[in-house]
Amino acid sequence: MSITIGKGIPKVDAKHKVRGDTIYADDYSVPGMLYGKVLRSRYPAARILALRTARAEHLEGVYAVITAKDVPHNELTARFGQSTSVGVQFEGVYRVLADEEVRYFGEPIALVAAESPELAEQACEMIEVEYQPLEGIFDPMTAMEPGVRQVAEKQRNIASHFKIRKGNVEEAFAHADVIVEGTYQVPYQDHAYLEPESGVAWVDEDGTINIRVSSQVIEHFREVAEVLNLPHSRVRYLGTWIGGGFGGKEDITVESFLALLAWKTRRPVKLTYTRAESLLTHSKRHPFFMEYKTGATQDGRIVAVQARLISDAGSYSALSPWVLLYATVNAAGPYHVDNVWVDSYAVMTNTPITSAFRGFGAPQVNFAYESQMDELSRRLGIDPLELRQRNFLRQGDSLDTGWVYDRPVAISEAAEKAWYALGPKPAPANPQVAIGHGLGAGMCSYGRLTFLHDTSRSYIKLELDGSAVIRCGVPDLGGGQGHILCQIAAEELGLAIERIKLYITDSQLTPLAGTTTATRQLYMSGNATLKAARVLRTRMLEKASGMLGVPVEDLEVQPGKVLSKSQPEKSIGLVPLVNRMSTEGEELFVESQFNAPFTSIPANEVIEGQIHPDYTFGAYAVEVEVNRETGALRVPRIVACFDVGKALNPVIVEGQIEGGGIQGFGYALTEDMKIEKGIIQTPSFAEYLIPTAVDVPDLETILLESETGLGPYGAKGIGEPPMVSIAPALTNAIYDAVGVRITSLPATPEKILMGLLRHVEKEGG
Amino acid sequence: MEIQSDVKVKIRVNGTAVSATVQAGDSLLDFLRNQARATDVKCGCNQGDCGTCTVIYDGKAVKSCLVLAAQADGKEVRSLRGLMEDPLMQSLQNAFVECGAVQCGFCTPGMLVASWSLLQENSNPTRGEMRQGISGNLCRCTGYKKIIDAISLAAAQHVVTDGTANLADLADRLDGQAQAKANYLLLGGG
Amino acid sequence: MLHYSFCKPGHLIEALQVLSEYGGRARIAAGCSNLLPDLKARHLQDCLLVDISELEGLRGIQAEGDWATVGSLTTIAELAVSPLLREGAPLLWQACQSFGDPLVRNRATLGGNLGHASPAADTAPPLLAMEASVATESLSGGRREFPIAELFAGPGRTNLRPGELILSLRFPLFQGKHEAFVKFGLRDAMAISLASAALSLRLHDGLMQDVRLAYGSLAATPFRATRTEECLTGMPFNEETLSLASAQAQGEVRPITDVRASSSYRRQLAGALLRQAARAALS
Repeated sequence: MSITIGKGIPKVDAKHKVRGDTIYADDYSVPGMLYGKVLRSRYPAARILALRTARAEHLEGVYAVITAKDVPHNELTARFGQSTSVGVQFEGVYRVLADEEVRYFGEPIALVAAESPELAEQACEMIEVEYQPLEGIFDPMTAMEPGVRQVAEKQRNIASHFKIRKGNVEEAFAHADVIVEGTYQVPYQDHAYLEPESGVAWVDEDGTINIRVSSQVIEHFREVAEVLNLPHSRVRYLGTWIGGGFGGKEDITVESFLALLAWKTRRPVKLTYTRAESLLTHSKRHPFFMEYKTGATQDGRIVAVQARLISDAGSYSALSPWVLLYATVNAAGPYHVDNVWVDSYAVMTNTPITSAFRGFGAPQVNFAYESQMDELSRRLGIDPLELRQRNFLRQGDSLDTGWVYDRPVAISEAAEKAWYALGPKPAPANPQVAIGHGLGAGMCSYGRLTFLHDTSRSYIKLELDGSAVIRCGVPDLGGGQGHILCQIAAEELGLAIERIKLYITDSQLTPLAGTTTATRQLYMSGNATLKAARVLRTRMLEKASGMLGVPVEDLEVQPGKVLSKSQPEKSIGLVPLVNRMSTEGEELFVESQFNAPFTSIPANEVIEGQIHPDYTFGAYAVEVEVNRETGALRVPRIVACFDVGKALNPVIVEGQIEGGGIQGFGYALTEDMKIEKGIIQTPSFAEYLIPTAVDVPDLETILLESETGLGPYGAKGIGEPPMVSIAPALTNAIYDAVGVRITSLPATPEKILMGLLRHVEKEGG
Repeated sequence: MEIQSDVKVKIRVNGTAVSATVQAGDSLLDFLRNQARATDVKCGCNQGDCGTCTVIYDGKAVKSCLVLAAQADGKEVRSLRGLMEDPLMQSLQNAFVECGAVQCGFCTPGMLVASWSLLQENSNPTRGEMRQGISGNLCRCTGYKKIIDAISLAAAQHVVTDGTANLADLADRLDGQAQAKANYLLLGGG
Repeated sequence: MLHYSFCKPGHLIEALQVLSEYGGRARIAAGCSNLLPDLKARHLQDCLLVDISELEGLRGIQAEGDWATVGSLTTIAELAVSPLLREGAPLLWQACQSFGDPLVRNRATLGGNLGHASPAADTAPPLLAMEASVATESLSGGRREFPIAELFAGPGRTNLRPGELILSLRFPLFQGKHEAFVKFGLRDAMAISLASAALSLRLHDGLMQDVRLAYGSLAATPFRATRTEECLTGMPFNEETLSLASAQAQGEVRPITDVRASSSYRRQLAGALLRQAARAALS
C-alpha cells in the first residue's frame, strides 16, 4: 500500500506561495545594498573603438564601473554543470563582457553599481562607447556561405554539425511508393517566465562571494569562480524559489555581473532585469529551418526519412550544439525507420543568443516530422492515427542512431486514446467557420545526454521527534522538483510530509543535485533521494526487527510506525524507533548519489548508439474552428495523453502537461517574436503575446502509467515532453479544417487567411 | 496647488498608513515594493501587461504599475497580505493549494487578488466568466486550468457557507478533480 | 535627463490654468494606463503630470431625454456595467466589454482612451458611428463642442488646442438601429486590435438606410468609412451586397504594416469585419 505515491498531495511550496511569503530573488534586500545595471550594445555587430567610463565613475553615488579589462577571466568555456570536458564540438565560449567587438544587440559591455537603480542607469548613459558598425550577418543561410565574415573571431560560423547515417536512404527512396517533401520553419520563442532575471550578491567576512539568484543551475558557481579567478569553494550560490525558468535560467544570467560588482565594491549588490531587457537580451528557443523528405510504401510503411536541419545559433553558441544534437537524434520521431539520413548545422549569426528551452530541439523537428506524417496520411488516404500506428516505435526497434530501444513503448496507446477522446466533429456554429481535428505524436528524452555522465546527490536526516530534514541542491521551478523528494522520503520512511523540512539550492551546504533542466530532477534527484531513504529504511527495519523479534522481511513501514505484516499487533512507533537508533549509535542520516548510465563522448559528427537514458512518449489531439473570412482560430478542445511511467503526484503531472501544452499552444499560434536586422521588434508582453486565460480551453489530460520509466517507482520525466507534439497537432487540424498547410510557425490568422486566399485564386484561375 | 518632483504621500497599505516621499514618476507598484515593503506584490513587467502586481486600490482590482504613487495619496490599498483575514480569500488560498493551481507562484498573489475581486462581484461565475475575470493576469506555468478549478472550488465552498448551495449546480461547474475535491469538502471532509 | 513633476489641481479652472501654463510639457494623469508605460519606457523625458483623476463633475453617465453625456473620467468598467448603455448605446457598451482586461477597465477612462488618440482606441469607432460630440474646455478658448470625427489628427495626435481638456462625450441613445461592434485582435484579452468595426443601420422595406460604419486600426486614425456606407445604403441585406461593400471597404481603408500584421491582411479584415458586423447587427 502506498502512503504518498500516486496521490495529489499539495506541494510544500504552494502553502507559502499563496500567502505571498515566498522570497523571490528581487524580494530580498541586504542593508547597504547597491544596485547594478548593465550597459548594453546598441548595435548587433560593431567594433568597439573606444570605451570611456570616467564621467560615469565620477558621478556621486556610483561605486563601480566595470568593463571587460576589469574582468579577471573574461572568456571561458561554457559549462552546464558537467564536470568533464566534452570537446569543442559541444562547447561554446562564454564571454562576460564584450571586449573589442559586439556580436548582438544588447550584448553587455559594462557594469555599474550605484546607490539607486536610477543612478546606476544614469551612470550607464554617461559611459561613452564609440562603435564602428559592421555589416551584420542575420540569417544562418548567409552565414553558411563560403567567404562570409565570421560572427565570432575564434569560431567558425558553422558551430556544430552532426550526421545520422542509418541504412541506405537513396535506395529506400528509389523503391518508395510515395515521397512527400516539405520545408518547415520554426521561430524564436521566449520563455516569458513572469519573474525577470534577478539576484543579490554579497561578500562574506572571509571573502566568499554569496549569490542569491533565480537560477536553474547552481553549479554555475564554478564558472563564476573562474571568472573571478577564485577557488571554486569561494563562490556560493543560494538559489531561490524560481519564478519560472523553462530553460531560460539555465545559462548564467545576472550572476557573473553580481559577483564582479560585489567583489569590486565589497558591498551587497542587487541586479534585476527589466522586462524589455529580459525579452531583448536573454536566450531564446532556436529558430530552425528544416528540409524533410519522407518515403513510404503504398500501405503506409515509412521506409526512409531524410532531413537537413539548420538552427540559428545566435551570436554565442551557448547550448546550441546540444540542442542541435537533441534535434538530430529526434529527427525521425517516435517511428521505426530503417533508413535515416540527417545533416544538421548550428550556425552563428549576429542575433540574440539561442539556447535551452523546454523541449530542447525536440519540438522543432517534431513540427516537421508530424507535418510530414499528416501529408503522407492525406497522400495515401490512410487515417492519421492508423498511419502512425503502422510505424510507431516498438520495443526492440532501433532509433535513428541505431540504438536498440529495449523498453516498452506506449505511444500507440497514447495516440489512440487522445484521438478517440475527441469524438466526432461537432457541426460548425455558422457557415463562416470550419472545424478540424489534428493529431500530433512525439518523443522527448528525460535525463541528460549520457556522455555527460550525470549524477545527483541527496541527504536525509531523521530527527528524534519523528520529523526529518532533506538537503538536496535541486533548483525548484514550480514543477514540484523539491516537493516530490518529500513525497518519496515520506513513502519510504513513514514520515508526515508536513514534518519534513526541505533545504534546496545551496551550492555549499546542500549536496549538489545537478541542473533543473533536461527533465532530470525526478529521475536523478528522485532516485538519489529514494536510494538514501532506502538505506535509512533498512536501518530502521533492522533495528525494529531486533526490537520486535520479527524478521525484517515481515516488517513494513506505515505512517509513523513500523509493524509486522503477519502480526500487526507487533509494531513500534517511529519516534521510539529513531530514539533507540540514536542511543545505540546508529547514523540517522544518509547521503546518496545516483548515477545515470554513462556512455562515451561521440567520436565524430556521425551520431550513433545511446545518447539519452530514456524517452517519454505522448500525443495530442485537438479540435480547431477556423474562420474562413478572417483566418481566426479558436481551439475548443485539446486532449493530451502521455505515458508518464508512474504519476507519483497526478496533480503535479497534470499541471506539467497542462502548462507545457499551453506553452506549446503559444509557440504554435500566438508567440510571434519579430526580429529585424538582429533587433527584436517585440520587446514587451503587449507585443510578444503569450496566451491569456480566455485564449485557451481546459486542456484534457489522460495519463498512462506503464511503470517502465527509469525514475523512482517506474516514473518517466514529464517536464519537457508536453511541449512536444501540440504544435503540429494544431497545424494538422487547421489543414483538416480548411486545407491550408502551415509550414512556418506561429500559425497566425494572417497566414491562415493568406493560405485560404491562395486557394481561392487557384480555384478561380 | 504645489508642483513637486518629490511628493509626500500617506497611503494606507493593508490597514497601516505608510508615509513616504515618492518621485513624481513612481508607480504605486514602485511605492509598494520599495517603500511599503509589500513584496507580495510582484513586478513582472512594470508596463501593465502581466497582472503580477494586482492589488485592490480604492476598492477596485487594478494593476498597481498603472497607478501613479502620487495619485494614491490618501487612498487605501490592499494586496494579498491585506486580504488574508477575509474568509473568501482564505477559501481561494486553500483551493489554489488543493487544486495544484500554484506552480512557480510568481503570478499567484496577483491572480488571487484578481480572483477575489471577481468573486466579490459575481459569487457564482461560469468557467467562462472566471477566465474573463483573470484575463488580465498572465500565468506561464499552469495553462490556467487548475487556476479555474481552484476558483470554482472556492466559489463552491463560499456559496455553501452562505447556505445557498445547490450541489448539482456546483458539480456542473467543477471540472474533474476539482469536483471530487468539492464533493469531499462539501460533505464535511475538510 | 529625466525630469518629472506632479501636481493635483483641486478644481477644473486650476487644471486648465496649469495645462495652459505648461502647454506641451503637461501630461494628463487620470487612469494612467498609457501614461505610466510611457514614463517607464522613457518615451517621456521631461513633463509635468497633472492628476485630474478626482476633479469634480467629469465622471459619470447622465441621460437627458434621448441623449447621454459621459464624463471623460468615467472608467471603461463603469461603462461596461451600465444598463443604460447596454440598452441605449450597445455599440459603445460592446466595445467596453472587450476592452483591455478587467483590471485595466477599472482604471482606464473614456477621455484617456480618446485623448491618447491611438488608431486602435476601442471606444472610438462606436462613438464615430454614433456621431458623438466632444465637449472640451481650455483657459483661453473656453468651452466648445465638436464632432468626434474632428478629434483625431494622427497616431497619438489630436486636434485639441493647447491646454484643452476633454470634459465629456455626448451621443444619442435608443436609436432603434441595428448595430454591432466587432474587434479583431491576436488574443482575446489584453489585445490591441488589428482592426475593429462599428456598424449601425436601419432597414426600410428590406433596404439599408442611415448606415454608419467606423473602423479602428485601419488608418492613421479611427475613421468613418463613408464611401462604404454609401455603397451599403439603399441595398438589401444579403451576401452579395456585403461582398460588394467589403471590396469597397478594402479600398477605403489605409492600414499600415507593423509587428502585429501586414497592411494587406488588415485590408482583408476590413471586409471581413464589415460582414461580421452586418450579420451580427441584423441577426
